[in-house]
Amino acid sequence: MEKRPHALLLKFPGTNCDVETARALESAGFSTKVVPIARANEDVLSGVDLVVLSGGFSYGDYVMAGRLAQLETERRLGDALKKFHADGGYLLGICNGFQILTKLGILPGGSLIDNTSGRFQCRWATLKNHRPDSAFLKHLPEEFELPVAHAEGRFVTAGDEALSYINDGLAALTYTEDINGSTAAIAGLLDETGRALGLMPHPERFLEARHHYDPDWKAQDGKGSGYWMFKSLYEAIAA
Amino acid sequence: MSTTAEHTTEARYETVVVRGLSPDALLAISEERKLSLLRDDMVAAQEYFESIDRDPTDVELEVIAQTWSEHCKHRIFGARITHTTNGGTEEVDSLFKTYVKKVTDDICEQKPGFVLSAFHDNAGFVDLDGSLATCLKVETHNHPSAIEPYAGANTGLGGVIRDILGAGCGANPTASLNVFCFGAPNTDPATIKGDDVIHPLGILRGVVRGVRDYGNRMGIPTTAGAIQFDPAYTYNPLVFCGTAGVIKHGDIAKEVKPGMKVIAVGGRTGRDGLKGATFSSMSLDTDSHASDQQAVQIGNPIEEKKVADFILEARDAGLIGFVTDCGAGGFSSAAGEMLSEVGGHLYLERCPLKETGLASWEVFLSESQERMVLAVAPDAVPALQELADTYETEMFVFGDADGSGILKVSHHGEMVVELDCTRLHEAPRRELPSEFTLAPVNAFAFDETVDLTSALKSVISDFAVVSREPIIREYDHEVQGNTVLKPLAGASGDAPQDGSVSAINGSEKLVAMGLSILPEWGKTDPYAMGLACVDETVRHLTCCGADPDRLAILDNFCVGNPEDPSELGRLVETCKGMAEAATTYAAPFVSGKDSFYNYFETEDGPVSIPVTLLVSGIGVVDDAAHVTGSSLRHVDSDIYLLGSLTSDLGGSVYARQREITDAAVPHADCATNLERYRALHQAIRSGLILSAHDVSEGGLATTLAEMAFSGKGGIAVGLPESVPVEAALFAETPGCIVLEVSKENATALESALGGHALTKIGCSTSAHADLVLRYGSKDIVHGSISDFKDLWKNGLTPYY
Repeated sequence: MEKRPHALLLKFPGTNCDVETARALESAGFSTKVVPIARANEDVLSGVDLVVLSGGFSYGDYVMAGRLAQLETERRLGDALKKFHADGGYLLGICNGFQILTKLGILPGGSLIDNTSGRFQCRWATLKNHRPDSAFLKHLPEEFELPVAHAEGRFVTAGDEALSYINDGLAALTYTEDINGSTAAIAGLLDETGRALGLMPHPERFLEARHHYDPDWKAQDGKGSGYWMFKSLYEAIAA
Repeated sequence: MSTTAEHTTEARYETVVVRGLSPDALLAISEERKLSLLRDDMVAAQEYFESIDRDPTDVELEVIAQTWSEHCKHRIFGARITHTTNGGTEEVDSLFKTYVKKVTDDICEQKPGFVLSAFHDNAGFVDLDGSLATCLKVETHNHPSAIEPYAGANTGLGGVIRDILGAGCGANPTASLNVFCFGAPNTDPATIKGDDVIHPLGILRGVVRGVRDYGNRMGIPTTAGAIQFDPAYTYNPLVFCGTAGVIKHGDIAKEVKPGMKVIAVGGRTGRDGLKGATFSSMSLDTDSHASDQQAVQIGNPIEEKKVADFILEARDAGLIGFVTDCGAGGFSSAAGEMLSEVGGHLYLERCPLKETGLASWEVFLSESQERMVLAVAPDAVPALQELADTYETEMFVFGDADGSGILKVSHHGEMVVELDCTRLHEAPRRELPSEFTLAPVNAFAFDETVDLTSALKSVISDFAVVSREPIIREYDHEVQGNTVLKPLAGASGDAPQDGSVSAINGSEKLVAMGLSILPEWGKTDPYAMGLACVDETVRHLTCCGADPDRLAILDNFCVGNPEDPSELGRLVETCKGMAEAATTYAAPFVSGKDSFYNYFETEDGPVSIPVTLLVSGIGVVDDAAHVTGSSLRHVDSDIYLLGSLTSDLGGSVYARQREITDAAVPHADCATNLERYRALHQAIRSGLILSAHDVSEGGLATTLAEMAFSGKGGIAVGLPESVPVEAALFAETPGCIVLEVSKENATALESALGGHALTKIGCSTSAHADLVLRYGSKDIVHGSISDFKDLWKNGLTPYY
């Protein structure tokens, strides 16, 4: 029997979306393992196809979102994560995971800072898919919805790099309306290789039609948009 | 990794002479040490120490004060009350036994196998699907929130989450609820008597952020809630925090056995939260704001998240014999409860500290947060230590259970506590008088000159009705990916729902959560409030898709001064109504809590809160297809009213706005309603119902408008003419529900619910059409739904 693509979920103190993210990955066909960071070392990456940093509040995010998780990841894994990625491995960072991947320097430069409203926002957002050619977004339509839930999701860059990310196609996902004050409404970023995606919205919360707020939402095969993100990735890796 | 913790270097305690003292001298000791023990309590403690021929240590007195505090022992609910009403007198031998426990015991006999535990654990469990069980616990954190709104609410939620982690051998927290009672956010600061009283706006913002930061960081969705506003709550705000959980049947039973190790895990111990249990058992005054801040704990949700990960994995590995949380009373109540029957020995010098120099009693009584206590087999200790290292939390072996029946606590080799707990569990019974007389009610002064469209706008803009959206969006209500019926839904995701429904990992069944709080009703008729709170909770759960025969409820009371017979009398009447309704619905109580002394001493005398009852509940939803929202879904549906409106407007938002306080409050007809809810549930199971929304605050007109806020269509309805038009619009009659049904299912619905006061009142109209309410031949309300929605949606936005 063919081996299922294997996903490793790194868990920090305060990571709290690992259970549903593992469930989402498994629903798309992955095998999964959650590894607390205190037990992580270079060896945990062997046999892994995808590393996932799921949502939550690593170390409380009291310094800057993702900063302590970045330092601890570098301390535990050294260069191993970057080497894994350079050798063809895939990375997915959701919400806090996006913040951590950005701090790790794996995604295009920039920062995720406090929403312009100064508030945590739990709501649904419509997203524009700029990269249906990518491993992560192949099965997703031009526009689709996902829930967002964050206080620090406003993507900014020191200069006007954010606009170049739009032109270069690295800004794979943008909001169709202002959610948090992100420059160019950026919601998700790919790296240059196309094998790492960070996004603020939560695909793992929209696997089934019943997860949508409107009971009359018309589903594609009964599945939610988040499912199709994980399915796209599964197919890209399994291919 | 954590740094090495501080520990105490010496025992610091003293012996307090009580033997031979007069009751007055004993009471003076209680007051001087802020023990909150009454004269009789001190005499009982003195008798105990005379019987063992020695004087207590200060640690022992603190242990007794905490054990017997109102907060921990619920002595008012256990008191013998002489209740005078309608010229007669009756003896109530414990409100808890009479109106809560007996009701539940009787229901358990009728529904064998449904209630799996009640009252003796941190939360009670009911069966979900034969292999999993579900629970709910609600606590108040009123006094801490009054003086430190952020920290008070933060640790209020943190504490109730630990109750769930400490229920059975550790339940998974699945969803939280929050209910707040505040002064109106637009209260004129000049009207507030008392220098240090925090303005309701400061309370509101601090409390919401406190709840947000704990719940969101723990990754527990906050899916249900309510806010009530009343001037009296300005002085003594109420903050109810609740969390539901799930556990396997086999993990419910827990037991401490001789030879087990007592383990403590989580945060370190410090001076924060000293005497919280006794603080919350006293009233507030201006000095509280300065002197009692030490009693408010400091929350660290990430520490609790690590503890949660530790507990749940230890449970799945079968490593937990017994677990409970450190709440009020700290180690004294947690470990004391654990060892109260079996006995054992604890060693305070082993406890890691936040700071040095703590006295013995401070170590044992501190209410520092995020600590849990476990009893485990000795050979499980290494595996638990490894788990603690994995999740980066601290654990230490606190002592042993030894089968002696005696609680022994030593500190650097000196015995600071040696008590026979079995002799201390029964605090002296309190005896209290209460009285209640229903004030004469007058017929509601209906007024034909009222502009009804303006009246509806004003009802929809009332703080009791407006959308809580700005607050709801601050809470992550989607984390865990299981929130199927969200607090805001409908086509634009911002319309109100009667309750929430969560899918449960590992089960085909779902859990609905609902609640009811109607303090305005109790001002006139507390019995009616008791009935209605249970009715509305059952109604909410049924509307969401739960089976009305498989739900469990909780009672949370907040009361002013129980030594005032008229306040206690209102409580007794509320309990009677609540018990009557629970019995009729066969809705068992699985947990509950009461909070007294919710009054504030101003210069002009005490301001007490209205007697407040929160009933909350969880119900089993058999299938995701049964989940039903409150939002209009289609154009051209038929709209039905299930139930009959009455013209009793007492307690309603409309009556309050008209400043009418002497109108009769409706009494829920629970027996009739139960049959109605059962029939509705069958209709939901048969797929006949598109949406269902209860008639509650703001009446039928508000219900219809709220349904239309989904943005799917207009509504045109002919109001029932059996009652005057103001009642038809605004009466909050219990038992009434508006249903949306497709035209093709109308006949089937009428045959299913025909015998249950079902009336077709109108239909949904095309998209962007208006809200049109007719009475007789007249359009009495005709307005744009978006205008009504703007008022409703933005009612709180200027304040939050």
